[in-house]
Amino acid sequence: MQPRIIGCGNVDRGDDAAGVLVARRLRSLGIEAEEQSGESFSLIDCWQGFETVVVVDAVCSGRKAGEVTIWDATTRPLPKAALQCSTHAFGLYESVELARTLGRLPDKLSIYGIEGKQFTPGARPSAEVEQAVELVTQQIAELMQAATLSER
Amino acid sequence: MNTPGTRTIKVDYLTRVEGEGALYVKLKGDQVRDVKLKIFEPPRLFEAFLRGRHFSEVADITARICGICPIAYQMSAVHAVERALGIKIDPAVRMLRRLFYCGEWIESHALHIFMLHTPDFLGYPDAIQMARDHRAVVEQGLRLKKAGNHIVRLMGGREIHPVSAAVGGFYKTPAKSELRELEDELKWALDASVATAKLVAGFEFPDFEQDYIFVSLSHPEEYPFNEGRIVSSRGRDLDVSQYEEYFIEQHVQHSNALHSVLRDGGSYMVGPMARFNLNFEKLPEVAKQVARDCGLNVPCRNPFRSIIVRAVEMVFACHEALRVIGEYEPPASPRVEALPRSSAGQAATEAPRGLLYHRYGLDENGLILSAKIVPPTSQNQKRIEDDLWQFVAQIATRPEDEITWKCEQAIRNYDPCISCATHFLRLHVERE
Repeated sequence: MQPRIIGCGNVDRGDDAAGVLVARRLRSLGIEAEEQSGESFSLIDCWQGFETVVVVDAVCSGRKAGEVTIWDATTRPLPKAALQCSTHAFGLYESVELARTLGRLPDKLSIYGIEGKQFTPGARPSAEVEQAVELVTQQIAELMQAATLSER
Repeated sequence: MNTPGTRTIKVDYLTRVEGEGALYVKLKGDQVRDVKLKIFEPPRLFEAFLRGRHFSEVADITARICGICPIAYQMSAVHAVERALGIKIDPAVRMLRRLFYCGEWIESHALHIFMLHTPDFLGYPDAIQMARDHRAVVEQGLRLKKAGNHIVRLMGGREIHPVSAAVGGFYKTPAKSELRELEDELKWALDASVATAKLVAGFEFPDFEQDYIFVSLSHPEEYPFNEGRIVSSRGRDLDVSQYEEYFIEQHVQHSNALHSVLRDGGSYMVGPMARFNLNFEKLPEVAKQVARDCGLNVPCRNPFRSIIVRAVEMVFACHEALRVIGEYEPPASPRVEALPRSSAGQAATEAPRGLLYHRYGLDENGLILSAKIVPPTSQNQKRIEDDLWQFVAQIATRPEDEITWKCEQAIRNYDPCISCATHFLRLHVERE
C-alpha cells in the first residue's frame, strides 16, 4: 500500500502555507497528496486505513525559519509547544495524541515540521519556507519512489 | 500587582477556543472590578482585501476567513451579492444551500460539543485525557463530525475551502444518486445526535441565568439558515437591510475585534441559544421532542445549557439534510447568470455560532467598492464580558484555578471563533 501524504495549513497565512504547498508540489510531480486545514477530526479521518502516513505542517519551535524537523509520531508523543501555531483549538498535536489514545494511529506516522517565522493573514510564505518546501518535496518524492520500488 | 485585599488571576492562553486571545478579570475581595476580553490577532482586513475584486470572487475569498465555518461566509457573501444584483435563485439550489449549511452545522457542533466543551463538564483538561475514560463518546463525536464532512465535501467540491458555491447557485450540483449515498450515515447521525442531546442533558450545570436579548434570523416556515428577517426577543423585526440601523460596531482599546452592540445600548446574544429561543416552533417534531425530553424550556437563559441546544440543532440538521436529500430534484441549471450593475446588497445567514452579516457595494462592472462583514463572535464578545461580570461574582471566593477553569468554560459556552472575529483569543483573570 502506498503511503498517504497529507499537507496541512492555510495558504492565506504566510508560512502556515508550508504543508499545503508541499502537497501541491508533490501533485505536480504526479504524486498523490491530500490537503487538510489541520483540524483534528478530519486529519484522523484522512489517514484512516493507511499503514504509512506522512504529514507536513508549519511549526513554531524557535528554530531558524525554514529548518525542517522530522518526528516519528508512532514511537513517542509529539512536542506540544512546537505544534501550536494552528489557529485550530484542535490541531495536529491533538489529532496525533487523540488517535494514539483511541488506537487509531497508523503503523508508521512521520511528521515533517517546517519552521515558520510569520503567519500574517494574506501574506506570502517567507523565502526560507519556500526553499524548505522544495527540500521536503524532494525528500518525500524520494521516499515515495523507494516505496514504489520496494512494492515491485 | 496585588494590593491588600485584592486578587489577580491571570490565564495567558485561553484553551479550547478557535483562535487566540485572553480574558482579564480583576477582583477585589468577591467584587468584580473589571472584565476585558482581549483579542490579540491583528485584524484580518478581509473587508479591505475584497475591495476592487470582482463579485464572482466573493465566495472563494470569504471562504478563507474561517477554516471552521467557510460555508457560512460563502452563503452570506453570495446572498448579499445576489440581493444587490436582483438575482432569484432556483428553488432546488436554495434547498442545496440548506443541505450545505446542514453539513457545516453538524461538523461545527460535533467538534464543539465533543472536543471543546464536554471535557469541561466531565472534569477533564482536554479531549485527549477524556478519551482515555470515555472512548465511545469521543468515537461518536468523530463519526458525527465525519457525517458533516461528507456533506461539505460533496457539496463544496472539497473539504477545506470549498469551491463550488457561486453567485447565482453552484458551479456544479450533485446528482440524486450522489446525495442518496449520504442517507445511511445521516440516519445514523440523527440517532446519534438524539443520544448526544440526552447525554449532555445529564451534565451538571451551574445555576446561572441572565436576561439576554436574543437576536437571530426568523423565517415563516423554516428553522433559519440562509434567509429571513432579523428578530429579537425584545420585539425587533427587521429586514436585513436595516441591520446597521439597529446594531453598531464599536472599537474598544483592549481588543482588535470590534464589539457589536445595540444602537440604543447594550449587548445581545446570537447563536444556537438565540435561534432556539426565537424559532423553537420551526423545529421538526423530532428535535422539539428531544428538547422537551432534555428539559430544555423556551426561553433557555442558562448559557451553560447551550451544549444541549447545540445537540438539538444537530438533530435538526441531520433531519433537515435527510429531508432535502429525499425531496431533491436537480435544478435545470446549476446557477443563474449574474450580470453586473451598480448596486448594493446585504444578507445575513446563520453560521453555527450565530448571525453572520455581509454588505457589499458594487460598481457597474461588478467590482466591489465596499464590503462589511460582522461575524457572530464580534456580536457575542460584549455579551461574553457581561456574562463574566455576573458569573465571576458568583464564584469569586473559590480557588484561583477553579475560577480560571469556570471562566474558560463560560467563554466556551459561546464557542467563540476568534479567528473570525479579527480574529484570534487568550484568557487572564486578575484579583485586585
